[in-house]
Amino acid sequence: MGNLRLIRQDRRFRPQQQTLGIIFIIPMVAFLLVFVVYPVLYNIFLSFTNARLIKKDYSFINFDNYKKIFTDLRFLTYVKNTVVWTVASVINRKSSGTGLRSFLLIPYVVPAVAIALVTKWVMNGDYGIISYWFQTLGLIEHRQSPLAIPGSAMAVLVIVNVWRSYPFPMLIYWATLKGIDKELYEAASVDGAGTIQSFLHITLPHLRDTTIVLVVLRIVWTATYFDLPWLITGGGPAGSTTHLPIMIYQASFGTFQTGYASSLSVILGLSLFLCVVFYVRKTISNDSGR
Amino acid sequence: MKKALVVLVLLMMMSTLVFAAGSKETAAEPAASKKIVIWTNLTADAQAKVLRKQFTEVAAEMGVEVEMVTISFNDMYTKLATAVESGNVPDIMHTNFAGTAYLYSQDIILNMDDVIDKIGKDDFISSYLHVLNAEGKTWGIPDWALHTSVWYRKDLFQEKGIKIPTDWAEFKAAAQKLNIDEDGDGKIDVYGFPVPLNAVQVAPQTYYEFLYSAGVTTFDPKTGKYTFGSQKKKAVEVTDYLIDLYKTVSPPSSIEWSWNEYRNALVEGTVAMTLDMGAVIGLAQNNNPEMVEKLGCFDLPGQFGNKPASFGSGYAFVVSNSGSATEIETKKEFIHRLYTSERAAERALSRPMFAFPSLYSALEIYKQSPSVALFQDQIATISDAFENSNWYWYGMEHGLSQMSSQIEATTFFGEALQSVALGMQTSVKAVDFIDQQLQEQISIIE
Repeated sequence: MGNLRLIRQDRRFRPQQQTLGIIFIIPMVAFLLVFVVYPVLYNIFLSFTNARLIKKDYSFINFDNYKKIFTDLRFLTYVKNTVVWTVASVINRKSSGTGLRSFLLIPYVVPAVAIALVTKWVMNGDYGIISYWFQTLGLIEHRQSPLAIPGSAMAVLVIVNVWRSYPFPMLIYWATLKGIDKELYEAASVDGAGTIQSFLHITLPHLRDTTIVLVVLRIVWTATYFDLPWLITGGGPAGSTTHLPIMIYQASFGTFQTGYASSLSVILGLSLFLCVVFYVRKTISNDSGR
Repeated sequence: MKKALVVLVLLMMMSTLVFAAGSKETAAEPAASKKIVIWTNLTADAQAKVLRKQFTEVAAEMGVEVEMVTISFNDMYTKLATAVESGNVPDIMHTNFAGTAYLYSQDIILNMDDVIDKIGKDDFISSYLHVLNAEGKTWGIPDWALHTSVWYRKDLFQEKGIKIPTDWAEFKAAAQKLNIDEDGDGKIDVYGFPVPLNAVQVAPQTYYEFLYSAGVTTFDPKTGKYTFGSQKKKAVEVTDYLIDLYKTVSPPSSIEWSWNEYRNALVEGTVAMTLDMGAVIGLAQNNNPEMVEKLGCFDLPGQFGNKPASFGSGYAFVVSNSGSATEIETKKEFIHRLYTSERAAERALSRPMFAFPSLYSALEIYKQSPSVALFQDQIATISDAFENSNWYWYGMEHGLSQMSSQIEATTFFGEALQSVALGMQTSVKAVDFIDQQLQEQISIIE
């Protein structure tokens, strides 16, 4: 009887709870509509126009912006740079760290501007300590800087980015590792499993979901990360570190072609979306196949 | 009752969220009439300090409130573009001539001929006014100008028996002689002449000084027609010469050098000459005073001696055309009061030998300052160049042009020149690429 009353009470309260629930989510929905959905749709709309920051009027030009992008030889170079930058940064960041956590957290709280200034300073061909070491070891010419050589400039960016963003996955992995039941290891030990076997069969499977999320987040964050490459190399030398975010920035605030910049960002957004979908599906299908 | 209260609170929160932007705009409106907002790109301490002092003095004289906002030069176009788009442009802007061209193209600034007349048009160095001219009107009041010269080590010239070069061949020979291995380890310790090619602004500044020296311009100074495309052969020669200098007399890392690097190199003694607008003097006075008296300057020679033009620019005050008639008058009066000879000289002297005042009367005060006492010959040379030679800022050969800001805000010059320096493409292809990009910029502007 008592249970029945409870159910009746639940039913009586549900419509009001729903209303209250809807009211609670309205601010977030409004926020998303204004700050996410509208800008994305407007961006897609702009990508089919010749809109420019310096002119108020614009007209539809169908797929002209996209044609221009795919006929620009530099675009392929910049896509290649974006892939190198993203993949190298993500792969190098997958390892997890434990000891000296406080020390390792430092790069995460240092502003990108400060990191960029220090990087340029230590890489300076005349007085930078790292350039000096490289010069002394004969790896680069006298009074040369790694930032002035195409391949090594990208390598420097990737290393700095890995160093800067290492703490985030480290913390997440650390939290996940702390959440693994110790009894599992004890049981495995009783069953005769060694450290490597425990790692392979207990630790790694527990880190799987975390790794998927981290890789997805890192692909998106790194491929769209603008600050460090722009502040350290400005996309140079000779465009060797120009990736799509720099290209988009140049199109928006260099030549003021908002329509063209929108098309580039649509392409970048779509590519990231496809990469993420592919990666997640591939990972899930691999797991279910096991 | 309680539920109704919850709903009411939530609705109020939502309306605050949704209409936040609108209410900010309405609130900003009356504030603008009370306070004059001035943007300046001069974030260098000494310059910003003098500007703030003068703005405060004039505001006190007029009984108005003033707010000075410093915008770094690298962020200028991003900020300006968003300000123009949102309609929140400052009342007064202290910016370079290219920035003035951008604001003019947006149709948001006033022509300042009446204020110039009130200050005294005859007291202005006429070439300064000419740069800010479009459609027969002057769109900003020139504050000071800068001129690119070759700053060099007088002691090393004397030691090596080098005379001031009169053409490009002599210039290269002098630079080669100044490649010095001080400790005999087979490595060059002092390079003759750095070719800084940082893609953000520095590469086009370096390139244009050489282009102008060889007679190549973006637009015809007289007709305003696009001319770079028809001068590509000459531009290739200039590119080859510049890259040759990079390979023979410039530190390898200078491909990425910006202003700080090449100025420091001269002041610290690791290069013997550099192109500069005179900022090396202030830097030497602060960081290496012993170097100050060793420095001199000469105009980069023309390719075969005769030099058609030099690279130069300056800063101006521009006034937004928004606001009531009274507000516009207040802004103009504010500017007028900044143009006493003493104040104009003080602003230029905040960066000695870099900034040259726009008023003759201010220049006289400037010359007598102890901070430039050692450089009377150089002041004479540069003042003469300002008055009697052609000098342009990239893209402004025919007066105010937005092309200038387009070149300033993009990196295609740097990218092209760096590619040639690194052997990734030929100078012919680089010049073709620059031509194509310039033409694209023109189509965007039009």
